[in-house]
Amino acid sequence: MKFFNLLKKELRELINAQMIIGLIVSISLLMIIGGVMGDAIEEAVSNSGDVYISNQDNTEFTESFIKNLKEMGYNVKQKEVNKKDSVEILEELNIDSLIIIPEGFTKGILEDRKTSDIEYISRIKSTSAMASLGDANTSALGSINSIISNLLMLEGYGLSTEDIGVIERPVNLKEITVVDKKSASVSPSVIIGMASAQGVIVPIVIFILVMFTSQMIISAISTEKIDKTLETLLSAPVSRISVLGAKMLGAAIVALINAVAYMIAFSSYMGGIMSGGMDIGVGETLTMSEALKELGLKMSAGGYFLLGLQMFMTIMIALSVSLILGAMATDAKSAQTLIMPIMISAMIPYMISIFMDIGTMPNIIRTLIWAIPFTHTFTAINNIMFGNWNVFWGGLAYQFVFFIVCMYSALKLFTSDKIFTISLNFGQKFKFNKSKRT
Amino acid sequence: MSTVLEVKDLSKQYSKVLAADGVSFNIDEGEIFALIGPNGAGKTTTIRMISTLIKPTSGDAVVAGYSIKDKPEKVRECITYLPDEAGAYKTMTGYQYLKFMAGIFTNDKNKAETYIKRATEMCGLEDRLNEKIASYSRGMIRKLLLSRAVMTHPKLAILDEPTSGLDVINALEIRKIIKDLASKGMSFLISSHNMLEIEFISDRVGIISKGKLLVIGKTEELKQRYNVANLEEVFERVVLEHEVF
Repeated sequence: MKFFNLLKKELRELINAQMIIGLIVSISLLMIIGGVMGDAIEEAVSNSGDVYISNQDNTEFTESFIKNLKEMGYNVKQKEVNKKDSVEILEELNIDSLIIIPEGFTKGILEDRKTSDIEYISRIKSTSAMASLGDANTSALGSINSIISNLLMLEGYGLSTEDIGVIERPVNLKEITVVDKKSASVSPSVIIGMASAQGVIVPIVIFILVMFTSQMIISAISTEKIDKTLETLLSAPVSRISVLGAKMLGAAIVALINAVAYMIAFSSYMGGIMSGGMDIGVGETLTMSEALKELGLKMSAGGYFLLGLQMFMTIMIALSVSLILGAMATDAKSAQTLIMPIMISAMIPYMISIFMDIGTMPNIIRTLIWAIPFTHTFTAINNIMFGNWNVFWGGLAYQFVFFIVCMYSALKLFTSDKIFTISLNFGQKFKFNKSKRT
Repeated sequence: MSTVLEVKDLSKQYSKVLAADGVSFNIDEGEIFALIGPNGAGKTTTIRMISTLIKPTSGDAVVAGYSIKDKPEKVRECITYLPDEAGAYKTMTGYQYLKFMAGIFTNDKNKAETYIKRATEMCGLEDRLNEKIASYSRGMIRKLLLSRAVMTHPKLAILDEPTSGLDVINALEIRKIIKDLASKGMSFLISSHNMLEIEFISDRVGIISKGKLLVIGKTEELKQRYNVANLEEVFERVVLEHEVF
């Protein structure tokens, strides 16, 4: 009864408007990003979008070239250009990019037998990867040389369409990707590209989750200590283990809500980025989801459960460490800096997991990085997808042991006098020592 | 009159500091005992030991027949503790706070209701009890906490600086409540820097410095013993006599 009273109080403190809004915003963002990325990939793959061309040469040859572009699915819109300056041209036409076929282009190729220039003006508005994904002009530019070559061979040298097909594509590259004991007719670069997409977002989600939950419990404990409500509680007829247990259970419930909510949002995000169709290089089109399924890389419900389990364990570690750190606060200012050890411990594997493969690092460095419990969460998704079960379960076991040690330390701290005397404020200690010397 | 608290040679050694050094005193039923002393004298350490928050290095204290060393859980049923400059849970309303604390002291719903009713009447916050504590003034929080501390009618209420930071009107109200409850049999252990307050409120005084309880006595007796006009001068004489400065 008393325990439930304490638990109710903890939940009331932890589940506040700030937490709910934060959770909704983060999850919505994840879902929206997934949807947007899915749409962008779809758009890029379908080659849709407008291609603006200014045909200043105006010959039968250039008209034929534009017709070919249209046949390839590009929505070509021809524009008249009256200005010379590139900026003024784009401003006058109110577009962001333009392909200019200059006067004399056909003569240069067909009569002078020289390579001719085509101008491409493009306005950069963003440096983000997604900014250029749906740009049909960039895609059309890639096809120009191929179209011109075909036209030359067809009209200039009298080759048949079949001959051109063979010359243009003498080798039919059939890419097969093998993962463990499964294979699929898909380019490895496509799979790596997909892994990179999740490699960016997953660590961010984990990092946010760790920081958020740690801040939550550090703030809760330090406020109790600073406001002396902890002294009031611990002098009341209720055991210290109940007080600590209610705090941990309350935090664990909130952590579980977070982990489940993030897993649902994450699966929605992955569904978004995997829904786009892709050319796998043999004339077939698979969805990313189908390709991953063939390779056994598609996350099953069990996979998501294991990822959720690892996330939960990570949160429990963050919470138990935060319990100890929160108890060290002496004032509101010191409480804010107490998150630093967790932030650094999460930042190191976070950065490394984005840029490097921990498995390929020298033994000593790899061991040191693996000693950070959060590392195993950042690498969990790759371990689950690629079936590195020894590393996954080893990491989870290590996290469990780490959690038990932290919880034991927190329990010892809460049942001893140290809960009222311990502090971690290097700045103040330094000032105090300095003042004693002067 | 029965003894509610018996402190016997209580000491607390931190790594390099002897915060309490063989402190001994008694508090009878319905008595207000004040522990006074400069900052760092050992008042809070002594109070925390009696409140079972920290363990003594040596000695013992017996509250209503229960040892703080052997039966701390029983001691906690007989006492309430109001720390110096304590706050309350800001996300709760005053009423929710009282309900939560009542639930910590008893599992009996009727008893809890009685506690809440008693505290509600005593604090005088009326409708403001339905507002979040975050919106309360310091005086309101102190009144809420004091009413919480005495709502269970503990055998011993331990109040660390009960009126610190309060204006004259609020301080007077709180002193009145304490006096009134003591007259009904509740015992108080109070710590304070405010000598005038102690002179007004307490039945007996203990002067503590550098962890040692130097003198114990009724205010009038001490004034006569040291031939001075008020408690402040008693305090000055005692600490000078024992060469604590």
